[in-house]
Amino acid sequence: MSRLRPQWTLVLALAWLAFLLLPVTALVTHTPWRHFALASGDLAALRVSLVYTAVAMVIVVAFGTPLAWVLARRRFRGRAWVEGLLLVPLLTPPLALGILLTTLYGPYGWLGGWFSGLGVSLTNTAPAFVLAQVYASAPYYVVGARAAIEGVTPELEQLGRTLGDSPWRVFRRVTLPLSWLGLAAALSIAWVRALGEFGVVLVMAYYPQGIPVKLWVNLQDFGLPSVYPLLWLFFLVGLPLPLLLGLLAWRRRPQARPDAAGV
Amino acid sequence: MRVDYRIERPACIEAHFELRGLTALAGRSGAGKTTLLRAICGLVPATGEPYAGLPPERRRIGFLPQDSALFPHLTALGNIAYPLRGPDRLERARELLGRVRLAGLAERYPAELSGGQAQRVALARALARDPELLLLDEPTSALEPGLRDAVFEELRAVIEQARLPALVATHDSHLAQQCDWLAVLDGGRIVQEGPPEEVFSRPATESLARLLGFRNIFGGRVARTAPDGEALLDTACGSLRARWAGGRAPAGEVSWGIRGEDVQLLPPRQDPVARPSENVVEGVLRSIRRQGLAVALRVEGPVTLDLLLPRHVCEGLQLAVDQRLAVHLPPQYVRILGSTGRNNHPAD
Repeated sequence: MSRLRPQWTLVLALAWLAFLLLPVTALVTHTPWRHFALASGDLAALRVSLVYTAVAMVIVVAFGTPLAWVLARRRFRGRAWVEGLLLVPLLTPPLALGILLTTLYGPYGWLGGWFSGLGVSLTNTAPAFVLAQVYASAPYYVVGARAAIEGVTPELEQLGRTLGDSPWRVFRRVTLPLSWLGLAAALSIAWVRALGEFGVVLVMAYYPQGIPVKLWVNLQDFGLPSVYPLLWLFFLVGLPLPLLLGLLAWRRRPQARPDAAGV
Repeated sequence: MRVDYRIERPACIEAHFELRGLTALAGRSGAGKTTLLRAICGLVPATGEPYAGLPPERRRIGFLPQDSALFPHLTALGNIAYPLRGPDRLERARELLGRVRLAGLAERYPAELSGGQAQRVALARALARDPELLLLDEPTSALEPGLRDAVFEELRAVIEQARLPALVATHDSHLAQQCDWLAVLDGGRIVQEGPPEEVFSRPATESLARLLGFRNIFGGRVARTAPDGEALLDTACGSLRARWAGGRAPAGEVSWGIRGEDVQLLPPRQDPVARPSENVVEGVLRSIRRQGLAVALRVEGPVTLDLLLPRHVCEGLQLAVDQRLAVHLPPQYVRILGSTGRNNHPAD
């Protein structure tokens, strides 16, 4: 009987995967293949989504990695609180988060006033778009990156120190190579989250229009059929990164069992 | 080289001792040996010399943690080259790999190396750091028993060739005996140091004696002493001649002991005239157990003695449980281990 069990888990796993992908079949069957055409402004939306999400990811990684490292390695009072508070932006409904951000960074918010003093407006501008995406995706990256860094044996990092490396060099030569797959997975989750973000962006940066907002605009202005081509485009640009990472993770498996090695 | 370290966390340790050649740091599991090594590396907050206050990367120490801890993402060669800088680093790493006789395994990943090979790669990597001191934490404990001696012998040969002082933490008294100098950590401080044969034959305290493998430890009273350390003891098994490590033995109640290997079994049918005239104890053989290549016997008489005999000696005697036996405790091996603190003054 125990021999059958792996088969059943396989069936169950495939069934669940099919269930999750079911909405895509609707996309396949309902796309107007004969009259497949992008609406005006779709390509501009694509450019906005790709460029600004890439910028947002740079910020998410640059500032998220140190926080993830601190959470993974340092033991300090109130760490559990920090970990809980980190999830507050995720917990906040996107619409509410957008409203809070606008209250803060908008023209009448105290931070917004300070930024406009510097000549940067954080409503309906490119920086506002990036900011909204950062808020929507950064916690996902931090949570994932923390787990990835925690997976690296601290003794190996300490050993790097005894072999003459500064903490930063140890991070580059030991922590990063041993956790990059996990870090990349965290980044890919943040990427799809930011790329698909609608609620926060809608309130804070209706313009410049990225793909999610443009989908909404297409639906309202041109009707349902104009949604599907843009959605295809969205998948086309959004999926390669997660797929590539999945492939890398799969290829790496037979090469070595880094965690099983004499650590 | 002298080591003076004071650690407050995670355990309170105050260690002062000499480092001479290959020095063993012996102690029970959990005595703080690893903590002390890590403190000397700068990985545990501590005060002391050498290297006071320097970050780990500024201390010229080659550290071999337990289980070798090779970087799993680097090959054997990559591991050794890790601390090296400059354009010729791979060449120098290759040379070190040859020194530990693993030249053919340069491209292997740690997961593809045996425990002994990994240990040698770790040693080469520590040497690549160009250290002035080597620290080895239980270098053989992760290995199969059969491999331990061979691997340790190799480590020892490379260390001697490199002419570096080395400190080896171990709870294996067999390994400790093979070093040039021995310091024993117990209760958060160094309780004794010296050449291993001296420490092993004259442990300063009863707890140390147990730590170093003394199986037979009993109480007695000193009846007569001589200036050279010879003494006569009143014990449960009668009058025994014994030795004290330094000068005249203390008076009063003491503990005394003898190693299981040092107890001599007197052949059952031996001519009584040929028997030693003193330090003979009679008893009943209670158990016979194999212990590696030796045989452990337990003889119950006025005291219970554990004996460890070489296999070949035992096989010739055709011993059986419940047999009556006589054993000899050679006076030079009967050690007075220290005063037990009671009735030290004859007046009491």
